[in-house]
Amino acid sequence: MAVDDTKPEAEAAGSGRKLGRRDVLLGLSTVPALGLFGYAWQKQRSYEQRQRQAAEAVRPAAPADLEPIDVALVGAGAQGQVLLDAMLRIPGLRFRAVCDIWTDFNLRRAVNTLKKYKFEVTGYEDYRQLLDQEKELDAVVIATPDFWHAPHTVACLEAGKHVYCEKEMSNTLEGASRMVAAARATGKLLQIGHQRRSNPRYLHCHDKLLGEAKLLGRIVTVNGQWNRAVAPDLGAPDRYQIPEARLKQFGFRSMHEFRNWRWYKGKGGGPIVDLGSHQIDVYNWFLGAFPSHVMASGGLDYHDPKTHEWYDTAMVVYEYETAQGPARAYYQTQTTNGSQGYFENFMGDQGTLLISESEANYPGRLYRDPNAPAWDEWIQKGYVTAPKIVEKEAEEDPSVLDVRESVSPDEHRVPVVLRDPYHQPHLENFFDAIRGKARLNCPAEVGYESAVTVLKVNEAIEAKQRLSFRPEDFKA
Amino acid sequence: MTLSRGAAFAIVVLRVVIGWHFLYEGLAKLQTPAWSAAGYLQQARGPFAFFFRSLAADANLLPWVNQVTMWGLVAVGLGLVLGCFTRFASLGGIVLILMFYLCNPPFVGYFYAIPTEGSYLVVNKNLVELAALVVVFLTRSGHVAGLDRIIHGLVRGRGRLVQA
Repeated sequence: MAVDDTKPEAEAAGSGRKLGRRDVLLGLSTVPALGLFGYAWQKQRSYEQRQRQAAEAVRPAAPADLEPIDVALVGAGAQGQVLLDAMLRIPGLRFRAVCDIWTDFNLRRAVNTLKKYKFEVTGYEDYRQLLDQEKELDAVVIATPDFWHAPHTVACLEAGKHVYCEKEMSNTLEGASRMVAAARATGKLLQIGHQRRSNPRYLHCHDKLLGEAKLLGRIVTVNGQWNRAVAPDLGAPDRYQIPEARLKQFGFRSMHEFRNWRWYKGKGGGPIVDLGSHQIDVYNWFLGAFPSHVMASGGLDYHDPKTHEWYDTAMVVYEYETAQGPARAYYQTQTTNGSQGYFENFMGDQGTLLISESEANYPGRLYRDPNAPAWDEWIQKGYVTAPKIVEKEAEEDPSVLDVRESVSPDEHRVPVVLRDPYHQPHLENFFDAIRGKARLNCPAEVGYESAVTVLKVNEAIEAKQRLSFRPEDFKA
Repeated sequence: MTLSRGAAFAIVVLRVVIGWHFLYEGLAKLQTPAWSAAGYLQQARGPFAFFFRSLAADANLLPWVNQVTMWGLVAVGLGLVLGCFTRFASLGGIVLILMFYLCNPPFVGYFYAIPTEGSYLVVNKNLVELAALVVVFLTRSGHVAGLDRIIHGLVRGRGRLVQA
């Protein structure tokens, strides 16, 4: 049966009638499909919502007697957003204000996010105005560019607020020591954002595996890296440009410099500071010592010197004098190839600890040297997992093990997993300390020691020689 | 156009399911916080790779590309499900899918990080959906069953009235 079913009845009939009943029925016949879609979509959404709620329910709700802490965020860029996301999962916080000079973008985004979570927040362009208006604040979380850390932190401490400040503590030691002095003078808490110091896996390794069980024996060498692939410079749509006068007022020569401040001298410290500082801080922490010397090679080997000032590549050797004897620690960061990502590798005469902050790559592996005492006791205590039996690789592999080669050691795992955002435990430690329930894991003095260790690398690259530290250098 | 009644209605079903797919693809993206086409554009391969990568690299254009993709999918989806401005909607759908196809063409020797399910050699489901939309476009499916039938009738009817 061949029909032309596409013409409305009226037309087919050649009459002047507007529409037939059949036209209307057929015309509306697919509307129920939209209704069905709406039903299915609603089902899908409520399923997703239940999943989200189930995930959130894992976190304990705020106890009724938990005194809320009034918090402001200063600096709502990429890192501020990371901290905000982590803080939104911590019970007992009351967000009151956000400050960012990129009002059209960063500030608006953060304020909107917080309003969605039903917080009455006010947005500020200038931190001084924030401190003038928000008298009720207990704490300020600072995630501004490094060269602003000292002015922001000192102003907040002097206004009587506790401060969580992102690392690097400051781009200058002078700024960092002013921060330590302000914390001491005001008696307020100052936590520096070396968040591995509160990471349960790192704490387990430091306290239990290295401290109590001494699984590695004497650590003689350390190596670590953060390799990052080439990434385009950050941009901003024309309609979101910050007016030039405001950029100048806050110390930026251009929108490019504002967006990519990490690459500019006088603003940040380059990749060795952005990336290396986290890991070199762990070197000091796990070795229980400060380096005595540093030598480094580095340069702006790849990126455009017109828009990049800091070294894109740095290779560093620290010399330590630990309680057990000398140790050497290598660190590299480069920004042209991301292979093998980031990790820290501690090598002792009895074993090796390979660790990183990432849950996906190098989330804690231990290798016992064949001649080391058995780890059975620590396996029984649950400090490390039973060894993984490393099966002999493919029979057809024609290579022959030379008798002088070491047998590959057993692999154990660190049985501690962090399911929360990486920064959450460190922020929780800060807020617990405000409530008097904890001690800061990275107080100003520790942040200062780390800054001394890391900032010296850029100096050593510039000087092209081995530089020494005096023990008193690490005291603010 | 003359089609068997069965064929005409089969094409209506085809149109509605494609519309459903478009609508959900659009809404799912709108619901994803800060959804961006950047990842897909950056892994572009083939003869137009340069064009797609330049879209991803332009901070002014990318937000527009994202909005057009999300709302375009929703609009095309609604048009196809309801049979409303069907030819316009199917043409819009064809353009969108052609973009998706050309951005990540499943040609021999190309490997993508954003995975696609199934096994494809030159022809992938994008291309199948595109071909199906061409059928929808050419067969005035909205006039068989869809709001177009009413719209068309109203316009025609008013014309008659004016004449009368």
